[in-house]
Amino acid sequence: MTMTLPGEDKGKLIRQIASYSTLGLEMGLSVAVGAIIGYYLDKWLDTGPWFLIIFLIFGAIAGFRSLYRALKRLERENKEDR
Amino acid sequence: MEHKSFVVVDAIPLLNQLPHHVANAIVVIVLLMIIAYLGTRGLRKDTKRYFVPEAKLTFRTAGEMIVEGILKLVKDNMGPRGPEFMMIIGALALFIFTSNVLGLIPGFHSPTETLNTTAACAITVFCFTHYYGIREHGIKYLKQFTGPIIWLAPLMIPIELIGHLVRPVSLSIRLFGNIFGDHYVAGVVFGLVPFLLPLPMMVLGLFVAVVQTLVFLLLSMAYFAGALEGHEHEEQEG
Repeated sequence: MTMTLPGEDKGKLIRQIASYSTLGLEMGLSVAVGAIIGYYLDKWLDTGPWFLIIFLIFGAIAGFRSLYRALKRLERENKEDR
Repeated sequence: MEHKSFVVVDAIPLLNQLPHHVANAIVVIVLLMIIAYLGTRGLRKDTKRYFVPEAKLTFRTAGEMIVEGILKLVKDNMGPRGPEFMMIIGALALFIFTSNVLGLIPGFHSPTETLNTTAACAITVFCFTHYYGIREHGIKYLKQFTGPIIWLAPLMIPIELIGHLVRPVSLSIRLFGNIFGDHYVAGVVFGLVPFLLPLPMMVLGLFVAVVQTLVFLLLSMAYFAGALEGHEHEEQEG
C-alpha cells in the first residue's frame, strides 16, 4: 500500500485503538478466569490449593500470550504499510 | 435522600412486573421493530418500487443509510466474506446502540447498564464464533486448541481454553462497566449540582455510547474472522 486515503486511514486507526485498548483488561481477566476455574476445580475435587495455583499460572500465560499475539499482529500490519 | 426515581416502564402494565433491564430491553426491541416496519411498509405494496430509491428523507431511506453503514463497517473489517455475518453483527449493532442511547432519555434505563444483558450479547457472540469455526473447518477446528506440537497439548489446552473464555467475560464487562460507570457519574454530578455541570457528563455519555458499540462490534468481528482463519494462521504467527 503506497497511498492511503484519509478516510481509510482514520478507519484503520479506530480499529487499532479498539483492538489494542482491550489488551489491559484481557490480561487482567485471564488471570481472574484462570483463578476461578482453579478454585472451582479444587472445590469439586477437594484437592487443596493445587489447581488454584496451576490455573493461576495458566491464566497468566494466557494473558501474556494474547499480548504476544497482538504484538505480532501489530508488527505484520506495520510491515504491510511500508 | 431515599426516594425512588420515576421509570417509564413501571407505568406500563405487564412490563412493570419485570426487572428494569428486561422491560427496557423489550422497549428497545419494540422500538426497533416499529422502525423496521415503517421502513419497509411501502415496499410490500408493489415490488417495482424496490429498486428505485426515494428522493426525500423517509423512514425507508434512513433505514437504508443505517444498514449500508453497518454493511460498510463489516466489509471493511472482514473482507469479502463480511456480509455472511451481517445478520448477527447488524442485530447487535442496532440493539446495543439503541440500548446505550436509551439511557440518556430521562425516565428510561439502559438495558446494557446491567451485566445480564451485556453477558447475553457476549455469550451469543461466543457461541456463534465456535459455530462458525466448526462449520468452516469441521472437526479440524478443535486442532487449534492443541497448538502446533502434539505432545504440548496438555499444556496448551488449558491456556487456549482460558484465552477463549476471557473473550465473552471481557466483552460483557467492558460494555457494562462503561455504561454503568457513565450513568453513575452523571447521577452523582446531578445530585451535587443540577445546573449546567451534568452537561459535559451527558456529552461524554453520548460519546461512550457510540464508542462502546463500535468496540463491541469490532471485537466480535475480529473473533469471527479468527474462527474463519483457523489454525493455519496460528502456525504462521508462531
